[in-house]
Amino acid sequence: MESASVAAGHATHDEHHGPPAANVSSRVEAQFLGMLLFIISEVMLFGAFFTAYFFIRVVADTGWFPVDGKELPKVIAGVNTAVLVSSSFTMHWALEGARRGNRRAMQVGLLTTALLGLSFLAVQINEYVHIGFAPSDNAQGTIFYGLTGLHGAHVFVGLTLLTMATTRAFRGHFTPKEHRGVEVPGIYWHFVDVMWIVVYSTVYLL
Amino acid sequence: MLNPLRSEQEAFRFLLWVLAVAVVIVGAVLLVRAL
Repeated sequence: MESASVAAGHATHDEHHGPPAANVSSRVEAQFLGMLLFIISEVMLFGAFFTAYFFIRVVADTGWFPVDGKELPKVIAGVNTAVLVSSSFTMHWALEGARRGNRRAMQVGLLTTALLGLSFLAVQINEYVHIGFAPSDNAQGTIFYGLTGLHGAHVFVGLTLLTMATTRAFRGHFTPKEHRGVEVPGIYWHFVDVMWIVVYSTVYLL
Repeated sequence: MLNPLRSEQEAFRFLLWVLAVAVVIVGAVLLVRAL
């Protein structure tokens, strides 16, 4: 009797190995919670840069651009903005394709999004090469390179995520029910685009 | 209420909302400056 009870206890004990199961919220999935916390921290990071930007605009005697005869390329950056915003549309298209089981739409959408993002980054690097001032020239230049460079770094991270998602899409991953690997980079990509709309509006246009 | 971190669809709608608001604000500021 006692030995049977001990054996039963061992059987129950042997069912679980390793550390105890993590506490999981029933309302928010871990991947979404991670992206949520990450993006909130990113908003604070951009907020710090924008604080420096508004401070410079208020206190600098020379005002915002043009400074020392150097103007910001508003038109080229505007076209680049259109390129980046259009990449959000293709990203949305890709995810709709994943949701509806349209594999070709998902693959083409992801690839197009990555190529548009790459084009944006290439144009921005070209802008840096030809803009005619350096970050060390004045405070306005420092903030300009700081804000646009911070955003460019985020585009690079987004491109890395998109490259992974695109590769997986072409390898046959993702189904209409399981496409978190497209959805989470999609949320990040839209966040990057939203930040660029704010950066372009404030730094270039206003 | 729109929560851009809940799903890609909501993030996309939030992007369109931000775009529209930015166009209105920038347009209004540039108009006032031009007057």
